Formats: sequence, structure tokens, C-alpha cells
Amino acid sequence: MLPQNRFPPVITEYVNATSLEMALEALADGNGTPLAGGSDLWAQKDNGDGRIGSRLVNLNRIDELRGISVNNGFVRIGALTSISEILENQELAGSVALLPKVADRFASDQIRNVATVGGNIANASPAADFVLPLVALDSEVEICSNGRDPRKQALSEFFTGPGKTILGADELITAVIFKIPQKNFHGVFCKTGPRPALEISLVAMCLTGELHNGILDNSRLVFGAVGPTVICCTNTESLINGSQIDDELVAGALDMMAGEISPITDVRASKWYRTHIARTFLEQELIVCRSK
Amino acid sequence: MNKVIEKTTIIGKRVTKLDAPDKATARTRYINDLVLPRMLYAKILRTDRVHAKILSIDTSGARALAGVHAVITASDAPDGKIGVLRDNPPLKGDKVRCIRDEIAAVAADTEEICDAALRLIKVEYEDLPTVFDCTEALSEGAPIIDEDRPDNIAMQQYFEHGDIGSAEDDSDFVVEGEYNVHYVTHCNMGVSCSLADYDMDGRVTIYTQTQYPFNVKMDIAPSLGAHPGDVRIIQPPIGGAFGSKLDVYPYEPICAILAKKTRRPVKLIFSREEEFVASPTRQPVEFNIRAGMKKDGTLTFRDVDCLLNNGGYTSWGATTPYVSMRTVTSHYTVPNVRYRARAVYTNNPFAGSFRGYGNVQATWAIETHMDRMAEVAGLDPIAFRIKNANYPGEITPQAANLGRVDHVGCILQAADKSDFLDKWHDCKARQAENTRYKRGIGIATSLHNAGGAKIHKSDGCGTMLKMDDYARVTVITGASEIGQGSDTVIAQFVAEELGVPMRDITIINNDSATSPWDVGVHASRTTYIAGNSAKRVARKARERILRAAASYSNVMMENLDLRAGYVVQADDGVVIMPLDKILRQMHFAGEDAELVMETDYYEPPSEPEDENHVGDMSAAYSHAAHVAEIVVDTKLGTIKVEKVWSAQDVGRVVNLTGLEGQIEGGIAFGLGYALSEDLKIVEGKVANPSFRDYHVMTAPQIPEFDLTFLETDDGEGPAGAKGIAELPTIVIAPAIGNALYNATGIRIHHPPMTPEKVARAIAESNAAQDNAKGRTDERG
Repeated sequence: MLPQNRFPPVITEYVNATSLEMALEALADGNGTPLAGGSDLWAQKDNGDGRIGSRLVNLNRIDELRGISVNNGFVRIGALTSISEILENQELAGSVALLPKVADRFASDQIRNVATVGGNIANASPAADFVLPLVALDSEVEICSNGRDPRKQALSEFFTGPGKTILGADELITAVIFKIPQKNFHGVFCKTGPRPALEISLVAMCLTGELHNGILDNSRLVFGAVGPTVICCTNTESLINGSQIDDELVAGALDMMAGEISPITDVRASKWYRTHIARTFLEQELIVCRSK
Repeated sequence: MNKVIEKTTIIGKRVTKLDAPDKATARTRYINDLVLPRMLYAKILRTDRVHAKILSIDTSGARALAGVHAVITASDAPDGKIGVLRDNPPLKGDKVRCIRDEIAAVAADTEEICDAALRLIKVEYEDLPTVFDCTEALSEGAPIIDEDRPDNIAMQQYFEHGDIGSAEDDSDFVVEGEYNVHYVTHCNMGVSCSLADYDMDGRVTIYTQTQYPFNVKMDIAPSLGAHPGDVRIIQPPIGGAFGSKLDVYPYEPICAILAKKTRRPVKLIFSREEEFVASPTRQPVEFNIRAGMKKDGTLTFRDVDCLLNNGGYTSWGATTPYVSMRTVTSHYTVPNVRYRARAVYTNNPFAGSFRGYGNVQATWAIETHMDRMAEVAGLDPIAFRIKNANYPGEITPQAANLGRVDHVGCILQAADKSDFLDKWHDCKARQAENTRYKRGIGIATSLHNAGGAKIHKSDGCGTMLKMDDYARVTVITGASEIGQGSDTVIAQFVAEELGVPMRDITIINNDSATSPWDVGVHASRTTYIAGNSAKRVARKARERILRAAASYSNVMMENLDLRAGYVVQADDGVVIMPLDKILRQMHFAGEDAELVMETDYYEPPSEPEDENHVGDMSAAYSHAAHVAEIVVDTKLGTIKVEKVWSAQDVGRVVNLTGLEGQIEGGIAFGLGYALSEDLKIVEGKVANPSFRDYHVMTAPQIPEFDLTFLETDDGEGPAGAKGIAELPTIVIAPAIGNALYNATGIRIHHPPMTPEKVARAIAESNAAQDNAKGRTDERG
């Protein structure tokens, strides 16, 4: 049942792509909807989401879009890599343990098995958990289309609003790439919702940097679900970088961060509560840094 | 042959639920799996207005669509209405009163064609003034929802006992409180579904997920223009009911009307979003309580006024105040009581029946209030509750005889096993400490009917039993198995009487044309009433077999017993003959031939309440006490329930596995009510119709359990058993609320105790304390 003015989009054509080329061709006229894990797409379909085109393009048989590789100090994660694969990958567990940790907080086992890294990015939910650490790692998104040359785009500049990105209707994310962080890398991820699993973050936070003697340098502070896109708190980062984390700095950082995020009140949480959570997370993690 | 069989019992043992293997291996054929030849699919067009005149409905486009077999609106439906007050036409013709209202319905070859056809139906409305709040709906000049009830009162109850005025004069303390409880819904895994099929004589068979197949005949017939006798109800396995299937809902007659019109079987199945929007909710209630006591904590009076948000139509849910009334008047010994309840029409979605039936709401209010009163009296929560506890044989103000209850036993067991008082004093002392995570412990108890509830003229259940030549037993019961485990306990009672293994018993229970009458599965009544009927019918069969065995074996009937498929000597267990052999001898006995076929109808010794709500309407009553130990994150406001101790008077344990499952499952339900489940209704519309935003409990949130069963051995119950199913859901929420208070000094009067609500209350309390401190400092 749907209210009168909201009916599921009619999908009239299905393309089971077996190569990237075939997928890009099927997307070329802008009427295609790529199907990766489908965990978000399926819910949107039932909500009568207008973004869904009439041609469903299944990507799941394109093996070249899958997998994690490490080369010359860079990690490349294929867009079709599932969150479960991130969770279980030994290479990442050693070099970027933050990513498997985030994967462990992501939705539920069943959803992690189908949901993909590329899908989590392309869906452009402001509450997309996996986007946060990737932004904090200064990742780039690799984008392909039929006819044009592949291009790379900084993930932090990829999103333009809730569900909106710079991705053209004929384009597909093929991979996300980032540099393996330094040895003294410190990275934490916090999220909360009414339950420990199967939850969309009310607020999620990722704080990274080079931690040495209780001082954080080159920090990244990224929030989810407190604005139209993920929010990078660059002013707060500058304040934290290289400073002794004392009570005064913590108080200043909290206030500065609160000015950088722009949470709203919706059915899940109020603006007040989202701000309250964000402050709680940042305070708690700065205090952790201080003691390390 | 000297084989000896010792006497054993299956009562109180661990028995695997009869339906479990098939459900666990996906073999169960739910109604959703059911397909009949030539079957069509149906869907309903629902309104997106909450209060509006219907000016016109144009179905011409939908009718013209290929693959559409019928499109119906109110003008195609008989005049009869459904609902306990007959205020709900299955298809709305003149106006809509709430979101979900049914405007038209389509039967077509596929569900996709149904969707396409619904899109082609055009409806013109004229919006009417709306009202969503009970008090506003009762005020002068409020919009009228139901023209037959211009005061917007759907149903009301009033009860008074003793003298409230003089009791108040005699009280040393009077404590007042307001407790508003919220909307929740059942979240059955199996969404609503109905399949209707007419024969050429105008008789209809309806496959539906009902909890009361025999009353459905009566309730649905007017809306079909049919005689109740011409309606046959078949009840396939149900993917969850929990009270939601205790009414007829519009989709059921709509499905049947389409079947009649198309002369083909028609199946109508909800989407999950539709299940959230268009299935019933628990009633939200606003309670106003005043209660008095003497200095020593002895209760003197309780005066309660409550308003229920009925929504646009009146279902059986509007009768939940009858159950709330007993909690108000009879839970703890209160000499003077007054109770007033009004179910008020609004433009909200309409509420229905739900596990705990009014007692979930009332116990939240009463047990939160009791905790507050204990503090005023200067007593700990245990001492205050024991001082006022119900006692065995107590006759309540409504003239219920509580019989063999053990309220004090429940409180003491739960308190002792949880080390309640030490922890409670310790947590209270640590409230002021400057720590983020705070621990708390809380208790609540409740009283519920445990021997049926005589709300109809009969609260009985019929059973038929037959045995074949191989000593296999078929039990045809009126009772409805909705997953609660009734088939299993019924088989246990039969196995116990007939000395046959469980696997040799087949339970048939799902067809109104086959099964004898039963009032339905509600009020925690099935083990007690269907169990008694099953036990009695099996005893009749047993006596018939033993009588025959006595004449064949020349052993006195009184010295015979049935054990493990044999007729044995009762005193020493020596086998006389196999059970199947005596059954064949009885069957093939020429002129004396007899088959074992027995019937029984059991009517419990209870009485309907009179017009003043006085009467002993249940054959038994019982209590449960829950203690919850929690840890509160005072920053994020999250409550982690670490352990729950439950002490429940179960009369007698019948199936230990089933009992544990019901209690743990019931507590999980109650935890959702307490902590996270909240159907958000904004201006009459459901704002969170999905599992994404409606938060049921998930496995990691389920606490450790410590369950204690008190066996009071009810004299009337089968093997001494009482009904057990609803209490677990009823008691847990206020235990957690009281634990939150113990941990933080924060009391939430309006569940659910969501992280945001808790965090905000703590932040506001801290700010108030800082302000107070600031003022003191300035003065200092």
C-alpha cells in the first residue's frame, strides 16, 4: 500500500551486465539504475523514489569491480566490494584497522553481506557510515562512463546534498582509492542509534590523525547525519592540530565543532540531541587522545 | 509377559513445540503461501486524508485496464458495518475519518496490475476540520468524527467502591501523577492476509489469520450481507498475532466482496508499510491518578481517570479499559477506589487489541505511581509493595475472588534472587557520583486474569477426540494455535491421560466447519480452558478404554492404567496388553463394537461482570514480579538492560520450554514498549511506517534472564495450571522505569524511555541543579 500520489517506479528493462563496458553502455542514456547490493535501492523502490530509472542494470556479475588491492602504498577498493569483505580482509586489518572496525558497526550481518562500498557512497545518505572513514583517509573516487575518460574525484567533494552527488546519470563509481596511513595513525569511529545493530546512525563521527605524546596532528574530523552531507569540521581540525589537549582546548573544540555541523530535527532525533551526541563523542575521543 | 512400565508424567517437562520443526525448516505453509486455482489478487486504495468528505470516486480508468476483474467502492458493498460498535464500513462512501481509510479495491490477475489500476482511480475530497487530542475532541465545538456519537465518546466505563472522600480525609499522604502512554503496533512477521472463496450457493470460505474464528462468522456476516452460518473460517498457520487478529478488519470483507463479485478466489495481502499504517495499535492512554495512604504506607484509596485515544473507529481495543479497571481497583489491596475511562474518537489511526490488553498501560501507571508513593512513605520498594500486596482468597472491590494467588511470594522471590535491596541502596547512594555510566535496579508487579475472561456469554471451549486402530489420537479443538504453543500443551494433557507418546497425537484446530466452538485466543485463556476441555475429553476416552480393558483382562478398572502405549496394572505397572490391541478388540467386537470418539465442552466457573462492573469474571488470577537491573549512559541516554529476574505464579508448569519461551518473548515485547517502540503519529499520519524507523528489539538487546515459577496449583486449572502469556509483557516496562529512577533520580512518566528522552531529562536536571547551585553560590 502506498498513499495515492506515491507509487513504485515501473522498471521496464533489466540488463544483466557481465562487463564494465556493458554496464556503462546500459547507463549511457541516463535512464539506467545501477543495482549493486540493492539494500538501499529496494527500500527506495518501495518508497516511490524518483531517482530510479526505468532500466535496472545489475552489476553483480562484473568481477573486475570487486576486491581490495594494495599497491605502492595505496589501497584500492573495488566499488562492488561488500562491507563483509572489508570486515574480513586481513590486509586492511593490518594496515587500516579503522575500516574493518567501521564495517563491524555497519547495519547487520545480512546487510553487510550484500551492501557495497560503492553503493554506500553513491547512495549519498548523510548518514552513510562507511563514507566517514573514507573521507577521513582523503580518499578519491574513480568514476567511469561510456565514451569519456575515467576521472578521479576527492570523496570530500563528491557529495552535494542528501542523495545528491556530482556523479552524472551515465557515470558509475568503479573504485575508491586512498593512501595507507602513517604508523602513528590514530583513527576512531563512533555511532549511536536506539539499538546496537541494524541502525541508521543518529550521529556518527570519525576522528583520525597522527597521534604522538597526547597530541593529534594532521587530524580529520568527519561527522555523519548532522548535515545535508557528511560534514568535515576543518576549523576544529585546525584548532586540534598540534595542540596540547587540555580542558580548555576540549571546550573550545566542542564549541567550534558545534558551529560547523548543522543537524536537523526529524523523525529519528531532534537537533538538540544530535548536537548533544556530537559533543559527547568528540569530548570522549579527545580525552582518549590525551591519555595516549 | 512381565514387562513393567513405571508411572511417569509429561506435565512440567521440556517438550518441543509441535510446530517448531516445520517453522524452523521453512516447511510451514502460512496463509501467504496459499494459492488456489483461478485465484486473483486484490489491493486496496487507501486515503491520504485524515478527515474529509468524499465528493467523488472515479474508477472508470481502473475498470478499463486489461487484467482487472473487479473494482469496488462503497456502492458495491452491503450496508453492514464492522467493529465492536458497528461504526466502520469496510469501504468508505461518505467520508474518511483517519489515514488508512479504504476507498476502493481492485481484483486483478497480478499484484502489479492491481497497483497500476489503483493509480487510475481518482478521488475528490473536501477536507474537514481535524482533531487528534482526546481533551480537544471532548471540548465544545470539536469536530464530530462519528455522527451517531456527537460527543466523540466511543465507549466509557465508571466504577466506584467505598468512599473516596472520607478515605482522602483519613489519608496522611496523597500522591498525584499523570502518565501518558504511547502508540505501539504488533509488528507481526506475517503481514495481514485474507483469501476468500464463494461457492455457487452463496456460502463463503475465508482463509484468514484470525484469533477468534467462531466470532468472526458473527462479526463479518453483516458486512457481507450474509448469514453467519454461511461463513466458514479457515485459519492457516499465523505469522504472529499478539491480539491484532481479535477483530474483523476492513480488508477481510473487502476481499470476500471481491471474491463474490468475480466468482473467483481472491487473495489480499498487505505490504509491510501497509501493515504499519493499516493494522491496529495499542491504545495510547492519558492516566490521571490520585492515591492516598496512611503514614505507615497502607493504601487508603485510588482514584483514576483515563482518556484513551480511540482513533477514527471503535475496535475491540476500546474495551481494554475493562482490564485496566481491574488493575486500578484490585492490584494491591485498596479499600476505596474510583475509576473512570473514556475512549475518545479522534482522527488518529484506530487502536485495537494487543497482548496485555489495557493492563500494559495501567500497570505502567500504577507501578510507577507505587514506586513514587513508597518514597513518600519512606519505605523501600519491596517493603511498600509487601505491605499492600494482594493475599490469597482476597475478594476485590469488583468481587473477583483472587483464589490461590501468591503476590508476596512473587515479590520476595524476585527481590531475593536479584539481591534487590542491597543493590537498590547502593545504586541510590551512588546517584550523586560524577560518573557517566550509572547502575540501577527496579521492581514492578502486576495482576492479570489467568483463567479466561468471561466477556462473552460463554468463555468455553469444545474438544472432540478420536482414536484409530493403531492407537493414534486425533484431537479436534476449538482453540486457536497462533504460535503461543497451545497445540503442544493440549497434546500434553491428552498424552498424560491416554499414556501415548506426543508424536502419536494430531491436533486439528483450524476450521470453523470442523472444530467445535471456542471464544478465541485472548486473555491468556487457552491453556486453562482448552487445556481443561482436552483433559476432560481424554479422560472420557481413557475411561471407555479402561472399561473395555477391564472386561477383557478381568482386572478391576480401578487397577488399570494407560502408560507408554500399553494397558498396565496401576499398582505394579505390569503390562496387560498394548493399547492398539484393545482398541482393535473394541472396534471389531461384532454387535458390541465401539470406536473411541468423545466430545467435551468446558465452561469455566466464572461469571460476566454486571452493569456495575462487579463479577468474578475469571476462573483464576495470578501475579508476576519483575526486577530489572540496568546501566544508563547518562551522556547518550541509552539504557542497557543487563538482567531481568521474573517470578511468576504459573499455577503449575505444563511445558517448561514453552513457558520459558512465552515469558522471555513477552519480556522482549515489553522491552520494546519500554525503551524503543514508538509509532509516531503526526497530524493523524504515521511518520515511521518501517522497521528502519520503528525500533523493535534486536537480539543483542535481550538481557540475561532468571525465571522463577511459583506453583500455586490452581484447583480448577488443568493439572493446576494458570494462563501465563500476557503478564511478562505487562510488568517489565515500569520495572525499568523504576530502575532508571534508582540509577539517576530521573523519572520518565511517558514511555518509551528512548535515549533522547533520557538524555534530555538528565541534561535538564543537571542544568536545573547548576542553576540552583549558582543561586546558592551567589547568595553564599
